Parts: sequence; C-alpha cells; structure tokens
Amino acid sequence: MTVWHKLRPYGMVAPAIIIFSLFFIYPIFYMIYLSFYDWNFISPTKTFVGIQNFVDLLSEPEFMQVLSNTTVYTVLTVTLTTALSLLLALWLNRGNFFYGIVQGAIFSPHIISLVSISLLWSWLMDPEYGLLNWVIGLFGFGKLQWLSHPSTSLVSLVIVAVWKGIGYNTLVFIAGLQSIPADIYEAASLDRSRPWTTFTKLILPMLSPTIFFLVIINMIGSFQVFETIAIMTQGGPVNSTNTLVYYIYEYGFRFFKIGYASAAGVILLVIVGILTIIYFKLLSNRVHYR
Amino acid sequence: MFKKKVTAFTLAALMAVSLAGCGSGGGDAAEVEGKAEAAAPAKKVVIKYWYAYGDKIEEAKLHMVKTFNESQDKYEVVAEHQGKYDDLHAKVQAAFAAGNAPAVTDLEIASTGVFANSGMLEELTPYVEKDKDQVKLDDFIPGLMGNAYVNGKLYGLPFMRSTPIMYKNVTMLKDAGLDPAGPKTWQELEEYSRVLKAKGKFGMTVPVDIWFYEALVAQSGGQMLSEDGKKAAFNEAPGVAAVEFWKKLSSEGLIKMPVGDEAGATADKDWANQISAFKFGSTAGVAESLEIAQGNGFELQTAFMPANKDYGVPTGGCQLVMTSKSKPEEKEAAWEFIKWMTSKENTIYQHKHVGYLPTRTSAVESEELQEHFKQYPQYKVAVDQLQYARPRPMENAYPEVADILGDAIEKAIIDPKTTPQDALNEAAEKANKLLGK
Repeated sequence: MTVWHKLRPYGMVAPAIIIFSLFFIYPIFYMIYLSFYDWNFISPTKTFVGIQNFVDLLSEPEFMQVLSNTTVYTVLTVTLTTALSLLLALWLNRGNFFYGIVQGAIFSPHIISLVSISLLWSWLMDPEYGLLNWVIGLFGFGKLQWLSHPSTSLVSLVIVAVWKGIGYNTLVFIAGLQSIPADIYEAASLDRSRPWTTFTKLILPMLSPTIFFLVIINMIGSFQVFETIAIMTQGGPVNSTNTLVYYIYEYGFRFFKIGYASAAGVILLVIVGILTIIYFKLLSNRVHYR
Repeated sequence: MFKKKVTAFTLAALMAVSLAGCGSGGGDAAEVEGKAEAAAPAKKVVIKYWYAYGDKIEEAKLHMVKTFNESQDKYEVVAEHQGKYDDLHAKVQAAFAAGNAPAVTDLEIASTGVFANSGMLEELTPYVEKDKDQVKLDDFIPGLMGNAYVNGKLYGLPFMRSTPIMYKNVTMLKDAGLDPAGPKTWQELEEYSRVLKAKGKFGMTVPVDIWFYEALVAQSGGQMLSEDGKKAAFNEAPGVAAVEFWKKLSSEGLIKMPVGDEAGATADKDWANQISAFKFGSTAGVAESLEIAQGNGFELQTAFMPANKDYGVPTGGCQLVMTSKSKPEEKEAAWEFIKWMTSKENTIYQHKHVGYLPTRTSAVESEELQEHFKQYPQYKVAVDQLQYARPRPMENAYPEVADILGDAIEKAIIDPKTTPQDALNEAAEKANKLLGK
C-alpha cells in the first residue's frame, strides 16, 4: 500500500513526462548535439567539427543581418501591438452592444490561419495591383513598394503581425482592466484625479502584470516568426526580411546543412530562454504589489 | 487487421457465390467467383509519387497517373501534390530521413547532384540495361540528358523539361509601329523598349530569377561556374555584362525589374495586362499564356530569348527519379511507372497539354506534333531553341550559391551605389568558400 502511494503520483504524471521528453526534451538535446557536427541529414556519417558551426555563424555578415532583422521586427511588433491594443482596450472597455461587435471584429484575425492571412496581405500589398496602393492613390500619393523593396519590406511584415495580434492582446487587456476593483476608481474620482493622472498612477500600475505578460509572450512569438516570411517574402528582397527561424529552415531544409542550422537553433534557444527567465523573474518579484 | 477484413470479405463473397450457385445452377458460379477475386486488391503493389505545381501541370500529371493505374492491375500509384520544387525537395529529404520517402518523385534538374551524392537516389543504369528496347535511351533529346547523369551514373529520366523563352504581345508591337518579329538581340530589345516606353509601356517586366540570369550569361558566352565546379565564374565579364544590361535598362525605366517573392507573379501579371510587351518564361507556360492572350484579346507569339554574342539558354524543369530505400517490389513498380510517364505517347500528351518540351526525338518527329507545330508555332520555339541549350550546374552547394547570387543581383539593381562587378565579386567570394569544400 505504501509503495503504491509513493509510486502513484509518478504513474499519474508519466504520460505527460514521456510525451514531453520525447517531443520537447529529446529534440532540444539532439539539436545541441547536431550543432557540433557537419551533416546533411541523410549521409550515414556525421563529421565532428567542434564549435566550427558557431564560429561560421557568428562571422557570417548575413547571420548578423538576420539577427538584427529579427530584433527590429520584434521590437516594432511588440511595441506597436501592446500600445495599440492598450488604447483599444481603454476605448472598448464598456459593456454595450456596439463595442462588443467592434471587439469581435478586431479579434477575428486571431482565429484565421496565418497562411490565409499571408496570402491575403500579399495581395493587398501588391505594388501594381494591390488594394492598399489603390487607396493611397485616391489620396494622390505615389505607389509604395511594400514587400518588394528592402526599405519597406520588414515594416510591411510588422503591419501584418500587428493586425493579426491586436485582437487577442486587446481582449487580454480588457480582462485586465475589468479585474481592477471599482472602489479604486471611486477613490480616485473622489480625490478629483484627472484622467491622465488616473491612467498613469492607477490604471498602468494595476495593469502591469498584464502588460508584462503580453510583452513577453509577444516577444517570444515574434522571435519565432516564420509563416508570413515563408509565404510572403522568403527572406527577400536582398535578405531584408530573413529572420532566425526562416534562416534555420533555409539552411536545414533547402541547403541540407543540418549542423549549421542546428547551431542557429541553439542561438535561438538561448535568446528565447533568456526572455523566458526574465519573464518568470518579473512575474515572481516585480509586477504584483497588491 | 486489414488482412482479417479481407479474409472476412472473401468469405462473405464465397458464401454469396455458393448461395448464388444454389439459386441458379453451376453456370454462373465461376463467373461470380472471378469477380470476387478482382474485388480483393490486396496483391497490388502501392507506391507513392510526389509531384510539384498545380493547374495544367497537375492536370497532366494526374491524368498520366490515372491512365497508368488503369493500364495494368499489378501496381497502384498514389500521386501527392507537394507545392513548388523547393517545398517538394525539402519534404522528400525529410521523408527520406524518416524512412518514409515516396518511391518516385519529381526532381528539379539542378538538384540532381545533391540528391544523388547523398545517396537518396537509385541508380537507373541497370534498369535501363534490362529494358533497353523499351526505354530507348538514345531517343531522348541529347540536350536534355546533361542533368540526368551524376559522376557518369544515370539517376533520372527527362520528364517535364523546359527552357525559358520570350513571350511577345504582337498586338502591342503593331500598335506601337514596331516590327512584330520582335527583338533578336539585346541591342534590339533595348531599342524596342525605348519605343514602348515612349508609349507609356515597359518593354519587359522581368524578375531577378537565376534561371533567366543563367540564360543571359550563356548568351554572353560565359559560364556560371568554373569547369571543375570548384569556383564561381559569374563574376567574369559575361556574368557582369548580364547584370549591367539589366541595371541599365531598369534604371532608365525601359524594363521593370520587380524584386522579392512576388516578382515572378508580377511579371506575369504585367504581361497579361499589357503593361509590358515581353516576358521571359518557361515553355511550361505556353498553353496557359495562349488562353490568357485569347481572353485579353491580344496576339501571342513566342521567340528565342534575344542573343548577346549568341543565343543561349539553360534547360529546366524536372526529371523522374527513384528513391533508394524502397522495397524491391516497390522499385519494380516505380520503374514501370517511370517508363510509362516518359514514354513517347505521354511526352507528346504533356507537351500539348502544358507546353513542356517533348523529350524524345521520335516525339518531335511524329506526325502528331508536326501537325501541332504548324497549327500553333508558339509551341515549337522551345524545341528549336534546344540547339542552344545547356545543362544547369549541379554542384551540391549550387542551391545556396543561387540564393547568394540572387541577393547580390537584386542589390546591384536596386541600389544605385552598388556596381554589378562589386556585387558579383562579393557573391563569388562567398560562393567559392561553399564550392571549394
């Protein structure tokens, strides 16, 4: 009986642990292992090359551009998404029917497949035949190149990501706003606090757990952007939209360099790992002050 | 499980037979029994065939698969669509690593080297030896066999093969007062484009596509890589001339060079909407382009790509290959299927349906195609142009080199400060590192 009592919890968690190890832990270690080898995925022999893959990666200007693209993309996407959805949430945070519809409308992109969204936006952003340039033309402006020029391509992808992400973020913000106790507002209005002061001194601090949660989740998500790039730009023009995950895919599955791709994967793992640690640290110490 | 079901099914069928036998005398019993046997397809060898591209190309491929399955009862081919060549290659590679590869797949010709060198492909020489009279290897047009061999071993048979050609909107040329014969040289292309620009049009919309670039290098008398494939040669004079030509024309607004992932589609749309008079394109687009031209009310002719020093084009498209880790009976099925797909009748069929080259001399000379060429000369150009065709480079690193090169050319064209020579030198330096390994 006591043996059973001791073993039972392990038995209960075993399925989850097995699946987790098989599909998450094992691949991570296998990737780290592969990053020290030169291998094409197929040939029976792997050549051990030590840290050569990492040396190559870090001395490759293209990879540096990939890192900077990913960072710029992430910073822009996260700032814009968070700021805009906070504004929208403040506007929509009241219970009437009209606001419900607006909320539903901006949430809808969240449930559409990214592949469809990418195809849709490729068409909208077509320099010659796209709807966006037509609309801009009505106001008498010249044509934008959108995805077809290195100077605008990354920003175009950011627009798509913001459009896609804003609904979900707004929803979470509204939930956050509604969890602020009404008596605090009451106290503020009794003190004749001005709206701006209410916002900075009351709403923002009370919302800070939500804000940090969204910022970190969005950052991790943006660092792993892939679908829109694979479908809309394939990393071009002139490498201007190549990001980490697409780079890994390109080297692993188009150029057959799985060791090199794994090394890039390890770097991604480190970056996302750091972000996650920050997230948990902040979650445990900083944000709550109730 | 499946076996059990089949047994149960056969049993049921037998019972039906004996019942039927009771009902109407011994006469039909044998007949019904025969039917029951045909209804149990357990003995058929089923293999997978993965292919690329949709529309007419897909229609043609599926049609040929269907006729193959109907032509015999030993093998069953299941065809599965896998996107563009890049997607297809990535999936085949991953499936092979997982021990789950299709027995037969399309393979873009420039990737034959890397696939064969990593041991993914079955050498076809013994199969061809065995069926010499049926396959008639020397019937394939010699210009198409260049990419079939790796290190002297045969790995693929030409299937849907192409060359780039020039599509002309003859109606637009006539309206602009130009000779509908079209430009024969780079110089003439420039002159044509000047006249068209004055009419508010573009001479041509052309994406930075390495396949077209290979053609321009060939036309200038150059090579993409050195003879031994260990060094880049595209940064020599002919390769530079090609980029300079593109850069000059596009900076003067004579041709339009969109960049990015949608560039190829933009080129097709500009041509279809009569914004530009010419486009480069694979001969695979002839049937479709004829429909577009008819729908938009203009006359389409095709021509050789214009010459610089001489005419010249790479070949393109795909061949059929067999993967190396299938079971013997699957390989047998795969071989029968490959033979079927590359036969004279089927190469004629796919040529007429899509526009890809007829791959066999006997097909080109056949009455059926001679008649077809007379009626639609647009189809014949690619065949005639074959005398100027050359194989694509097949080095392991070539896909990566092509990627680097594409970026370099785009940069040279977009950025006024980057000269073609500098951009290509930089790309060559990177390429040499990869090729030298």
